[in-house]
Amino acid sequence: MVSEATAAEIERRRAEEAEAESAEIDRIPVRTYWQLVRQRFMKHRLAVFGVIVLIVLAAYAIIIPSVTGDAWTKTQLFRDDAPPEIFSEDGDLTFAVLGYNENGQNLFARLGKATQTSLMIGLAAVIIIVVIGVFIGSIAGYVGGWMDNLLMRFVDIMLSLPALFVILMITAFFGQGNVWVVIFAIGLTGWTTAARLVRAEFLSLREVDYVQAARALGASPRRIILRHMLPPAMAPIVVAATLGIADSVVVESALSFLGFGIGRDSASLGTMLQNARDYFFSGPLKVVYPGVVLILIVLSASFLGDGLRDALDPRQRVEK
Amino acid sequence: MTVTQRQVGPLLEIKGIKTHFFTQDGVVKAVDDVTFEIGHGQTLGVVGESGCGKSITSLSVMRLIERPGRIVAGEILLNGENLLAKTDADMRDVRGDQVSMIFQEPMTSLNPVFTCGDQIAEAVQQHTAVSRREAWDRAIEMLRVVGIPDAKRRANEHPHQLSGGMRQRVMIAMALSTDPDLLIADEPTTALDVTIQAQILEVMRDLREKNRMAIMLITHDLGVVAEMADEVVVMYAGKVVERADVRTVFGSPHHPYTQGLLLSIPRLDERRERLEVIKGTVPSPLNLPTGCLFKRRCPRRMKVCDTAPPYREIGPDHHSRCWLTPNGEPPDVGADAEGAEAEAAAEALTVEAR
Amino acid sequence: MTDRTVVTPTGSDVPSGDGEPASGSVTSGGQTSAERTAARGGTGRGPLLEVTDLVKHFDIRGGLLGISKLGAVRAVDGVSFSVKEGETLGLVGESGCGKTTLGKVILRLLPPTAGEVNFEGKSLFRLGSREMKAARRDIQVVFQDPYASLNPRMSVGEIVGEGLYVHGMTNKRERESAVRDLLKRVGLNQQHIHRYPHEFSGGQRQRIGIARALALRPKFIVCDEPVSALDVSIQSQVLNLLSDLQDEFQLTYLFIAHNLAVVKHLSTRVGVMYLGKIVELSDADELYRNPAHPYTKALLSAIPVPDPTIRRERIVLKGDLPSPANPPSGCRFHTRCPMAQEICKTEEPPLRDVGGGHMSACHFAEEVTPLEERRAPGSLPA
Repeated sequence: MVSEATAAEIERRRAEEAEAESAEIDRIPVRTYWQLVRQRFMKHRLAVFGVIVLIVLAAYAIIIPSVTGDAWTKTQLFRDDAPPEIFSEDGDLTFAVLGYNENGQNLFARLGKATQTSLMIGLAAVIIIVVIGVFIGSIAGYVGGWMDNLLMRFVDIMLSLPALFVILMITAFFGQGNVWVVIFAIGLTGWTTAARLVRAEFLSLREVDYVQAARALGASPRRIILRHMLPPAMAPIVVAATLGIADSVVVESALSFLGFGIGRDSASLGTMLQNARDYFFSGPLKVVYPGVVLILIVLSASFLGDGLRDALDPRQRVEK
Repeated sequence: MTVTQRQVGPLLEIKGIKTHFFTQDGVVKAVDDVTFEIGHGQTLGVVGESGCGKSITSLSVMRLIERPGRIVAGEILLNGENLLAKTDADMRDVRGDQVSMIFQEPMTSLNPVFTCGDQIAEAVQQHTAVSRREAWDRAIEMLRVVGIPDAKRRANEHPHQLSGGMRQRVMIAMALSTDPDLLIADEPTTALDVTIQAQILEVMRDLREKNRMAIMLITHDLGVVAEMADEVVVMYAGKVVERADVRTVFGSPHHPYTQGLLLSIPRLDERRERLEVIKGTVPSPLNLPTGCLFKRRCPRRMKVCDTAPPYREIGPDHHSRCWLTPNGEPPDVGADAEGAEAEAAAEALTVEAR
Repeated sequence: MTDRTVVTPTGSDVPSGDGEPASGSVTSGGQTSAERTAARGGTGRGPLLEVTDLVKHFDIRGGLLGISKLGAVRAVDGVSFSVKEGETLGLVGESGCGKTTLGKVILRLLPPTAGEVNFEGKSLFRLGSREMKAARRDIQVVFQDPYASLNPRMSVGEIVGEGLYVHGMTNKRERESAVRDLLKRVGLNQQHIHRYPHEFSGGQRQRIGIARALALRPKFIVCDEPVSALDVSIQSQVLNLLSDLQDEFQLTYLFIAHNLAVVKHLSTRVGVMYLGKIVELSDADELYRNPAHPYTKALLSAIPVPDPTIRRERIVLKGDLPSPANPPSGCRFHTRCPMAQEICKTEEPPLRDVGGGHMSACHFAEEVTPLEERRAPGSLPA
């Protein structure tokens, strides 16, 4: 048993130690993990630029189609290849700042609709990719052993099939021109990378001391996965997902360009590019507009991905 | 270099070097006005805790400081020649030839795609005009010298095929293959087990005798220093706080930090209920205290410590950066002295040392 | 590398081999470890933890689905010992000797290959998941790496309070006051409860890890190299804290480390491991004064003395540690042992009592001489 005098002595010593220690830490402003992440992210100028561009593009894709109604698909007589205008001859607001195409469709409105379609396909496909990838990857990584082996060999098989070929097969089989079939096809072929990432993270996190400590405290597998393993594993996932958006937009464009994407009755960056191909020499701007938007989406998404990767990396300490 | 040069003056003189890192959060004075010298064939131990600047000092000598770091002041004289004034090309000749360095983690310092023999032979060829064949023979000879059994076979192996202790031997073999005057060993045994550490220290001791080579031994392990060093430099927060021969440092340390360090290590041959401690933590390099850098943790803190203490000679070849008199009494200027009075006193005492 | 006896630092003062009596024998100040245990009320009670023939092999697998077994790393290969209530059992050994694996198997963080671990008479390996969760309240762990052992996304309050939450203290305010009390007890400022691990220094982080282990008021703590990642001046702070907490909470420690000086400082008894086996187990002071296994002696001799005036006999072991996947026949140490005979290659020595509870697994335990140590001529008075 500890005598009272010793207890008092220990108490005094602890208080003294605490005071000596706190001198240093009090100099550091209180910052949570996420504040640090934001701080590091804001230092990454290209990533901030990427976020701004994506926000502007998203706003454009949401606002313009809703303001201009069916202008993106309505063919107007005698307006084929008409020059840019803001107001029609009747004085109505048309937003036709990019002029009209060979069918007399408002290009600015059409580009807005196409951006909307492409971004939506990108986002939806990435959601499918992440859900499947995290599910398969975390089971393989957490359970390990034969389960890991089984799932990873399955991933290998998926990877050995040429993705574009599989997508073409799926779209051909399930109905060409349907947006959801395209999304489904891209998602179903794209999850393998995400699954491998999550699995690798989980395998190494299993051995990390703080996960072991949580197990030693008696925390349930559910708590360990949700609290200690998924958050750090999400960092590479978020990065992969951002880059995945860019990938999916490109794949969709390629599909539509080949004529296997969404139908001609809709508009995506790919269909716009395909249409414009025929007029490359007479109206090169028709290629440039969707092309520039495509490039902006892909570049911004990869800048954003880079920024997130740096910001979420716990090895990058702000201190020292 | 002539024989007379060798005998006159020390091998390496570091005079007031300052190596600062210009980070986004401010200037980190990793090495701040460090002065010491190493004589021919002498072993100097540089001790201190992580972040005290001991490794940066050695990298400064090799001129291996990378951005955002820069050596902003001082001179580094090797055999009387200022290394800081040399061109990069000249410096490359010095590195590996006159001065060699070994690091804590041999795996990261060895190239995984070449065999050990190749790497040593290449180092030899870089500094001496010999044929490939001769260089290879020299490599095998060096592997034998550092006690690698079956050296001929080992020379054809890749670094990953060797154990940690063997790799460190290969590093030493490479460092010594050009017969340097000075070997800088940065925590050479920290990553190794004690029995392997004993082997490596043994090898270093043997080679030091044979080659009359000087060693700058950087370590946090006071036991290793006590065994290997002739002289000891104790660093704290970028500055040298105490310097003397090994027996003085361990037998009658002057600076409260050195005293604290020595008392805080558990020893095999003693049984103590409690260890003495140095309270608190090393200050953040971005937020160093004014005056004495150790004052927040010092058990002998006085008011005068708010003024930077003088670095002076307190005994024969015994330097310390503390206000306490050589016998450990409060200073003549008074424990409560501050401001101009204290600064003048510090100035006077520092001058006295020169 | 030849096998020889060398005296540091110059190696010229004492002839190789034995024959010369130990001049200036070992000094040991203060209490013996037995007295320490007695003072803590440690002896006299039954064992708190009993480990019997514990084996942990890691299979090396290969083949298409990784199912075929190619071999096994014998990390822990038949280890038995017991820990009495209130004592500290130290475990030393070099990297690869299996000490960390042993700790993890006892904590049931790794499944055992064979053997038993009894805690307060209950077999830990036979507990169901609910019973095991209850048992975890009593058995806790402190890890080596103060950076990897704390979740960087959780505040100090969440980290220290996690065990309380997991074991049913769901009221946030109640938990916070408990955490504040714990922080005070490990020498941290209570105001830092909402701060994040990255803001603390290594020593402070280790205190947080200790507070987490203490939160459930355990009886037994496995300390896995708790100070080896820390600076010298911080090491002593944490060692003192561990020893204070032991008095305060009547804790029993299994203290795993590679630094024999650190282990001896804190431990009542010390076990020495080599290639998955305990080769010697004895009272801490006795182990140092009177080693009964050549490996222990070599280990002791290899530790540099932080005093240039003392020269300790140095036994430099030849060669490297053999692979634990393919340990040598007979006595596992025979490939590096300076005393090895023919019998050592064929017959594995059992861990036996060589007198007064001093256990050694050496055929020639009685012939192991104490380590020679002496003050160098012309030394300064201590």
